[in-house]
Amino acid sequence: MLTIEQQIERNAQRMPEKVALICKDTRVSYGELWERCCEAAKTLQNDAGFYKGKRVVLAAAGNAEFVYQYFGTHLAGGICVPIDPDTKPARREYIERIVATGAPSDGMADIMFTTGTTGAPKGVVLTHENIAASARNINAYIGNDADDVELLALPVSHSFGLGRLRCVLSKGGTMVLLGTFANVKRFFAAMEEHHVTGFGMVPAGWAYLKMMSRDKIRNYAGQLKYIEIGSSFMSVEDKKMLMEWLPNTRICMHYGLTEASRSAFMEFHEYAENLSSIGKAAPNVDIRIIDGEICVKGEHVTQRYWNESPKRIAQDFHDGYFRTGDSGWMDEDGHIYIKGRIKEIINVGGEKVSPMEVEDVLNAIPQIKESACCAMPDMVMGEVVEAFIVEKEPVTDAEIKEIIKPQLENYKWPKRIVRVDAIPKTSSGKIQRLQLKEV
Amino acid sequence: MNVEEKVKEIVAGVSGVDVNEVTLQSAVGDFPQWDSMGQMAIIQQVEEAFDISFEPEEMMEMEDVNDIVKAAEAKL
Repeated sequence: MLTIEQQIERNAQRMPEKVALICKDTRVSYGELWERCCEAAKTLQNDAGFYKGKRVVLAAAGNAEFVYQYFGTHLAGGICVPIDPDTKPARREYIERIVATGAPSDGMADIMFTTGTTGAPKGVVLTHENIAASARNINAYIGNDADDVELLALPVSHSFGLGRLRCVLSKGGTMVLLGTFANVKRFFAAMEEHHVTGFGMVPAGWAYLKMMSRDKIRNYAGQLKYIEIGSSFMSVEDKKMLMEWLPNTRICMHYGLTEASRSAFMEFHEYAENLSSIGKAAPNVDIRIIDGEICVKGEHVTQRYWNESPKRIAQDFHDGYFRTGDSGWMDEDGHIYIKGRIKEIINVGGEKVSPMEVEDVLNAIPQIKESACCAMPDMVMGEVVEAFIVEKEPVTDAEIKEIIKPQLENYKWPKRIVRVDAIPKTSSGKIQRLQLKEV
Repeated sequence: MNVEEKVKEIVAGVSGVDVNEVTLQSAVGDFPQWDSMGQMAIIQQVEEAFDISFEPEEMMEMEDVNDIVKAAEAKL
């Protein structure tokens, strides 16, 4: 299997003039893209402190410079650690400290930091084989080809957005780098100007688009060949609405996680009778339900976390199948359904939040004796953080917000703060989050 | 407090920046916290502050502070 970089090089040789990237007013051809990636690799290799296997932390802004640095680092033999450019200093310093130690192994491409259940970010190690296999599987399902013009409004510090970039460039398509969905007017202007044929979004992105533009997306029904959706739950009503508004578009929703990107897929029109399922295993992926848990096997699945012992990682696998932490079941035709989460992670519009990380920050506020967080349903984001606090002294929501602002990214801020007399716990002291939801 | 001052105060509060950093030209995406979530929070707070409500078509036109001020003033 060719690496993503080898596929880009092949595209540069076959169609050097073809536009690979569009970023604002700049158009970058495949020939130029390859040249710039090679230059970035050379600059890195000429750095006295660089060595093969060095971890390179990259501020993953959705611009052309990031694309050059990302693939250039791989070409030089480095390992990319993409992080959100707006990552809070404490988290960034933690990641830099973690990746500065430890031993790389052959074939490592990326370390993607994801939210661990204990609150500390975990470094998911992905090899060149993992990411190439993932792109191959996704392209096979969605049907991407060199004629695609995709609008990228997802963060490239995450598996979904970065994956879209790899999918399109490996196939020789054109990627329009928009950066964010926040400016809806610019989103639709880019759709028209570049005659966009596809894009990726999270369900919260769709809720936002719908809120800001009603059914304007219908105007593009004739040009949109595909949409990839993922990262969090989407209601059947929203799926049906998209099907009605985009009757000829392949609307593909994935199920996956950073450790096993896009493990299952469902296309809305094909799954009209099974819209509540997460679909079937993606091409070249094997899924089994083991002890009620959805478990995944395939070349796209990570085999390790950075700086974790093989013994610890073995706990994440069942007979070679990666344990997703989601409970589910499979019908006789192979359709998979999610029942719930085994791990206590809050999914805020696709951003994963550990309740413990928020609780640690809240518990450090002098007026708060203790706290507990859990997921609260939200019309737009799917879920948001709800905090329950036991006060030592009175403290207002505004005062709490001022204190947590510099420490937590905004999607981690509690949307509602509830004062309680005590936090329900088990006899061993573990917070009973299900009971909190009943408060 | 006039509309412009109130809108700037709301944008600053949601974006986590000093109100002096917010100008009429400040636009969606200029501050890290002024993303899609931030934009929704800003619109919601402006609606509450002036007891008005915006249509989706009006929200889509709100690219910067000036757009929001103009849209709010038109409703008062």
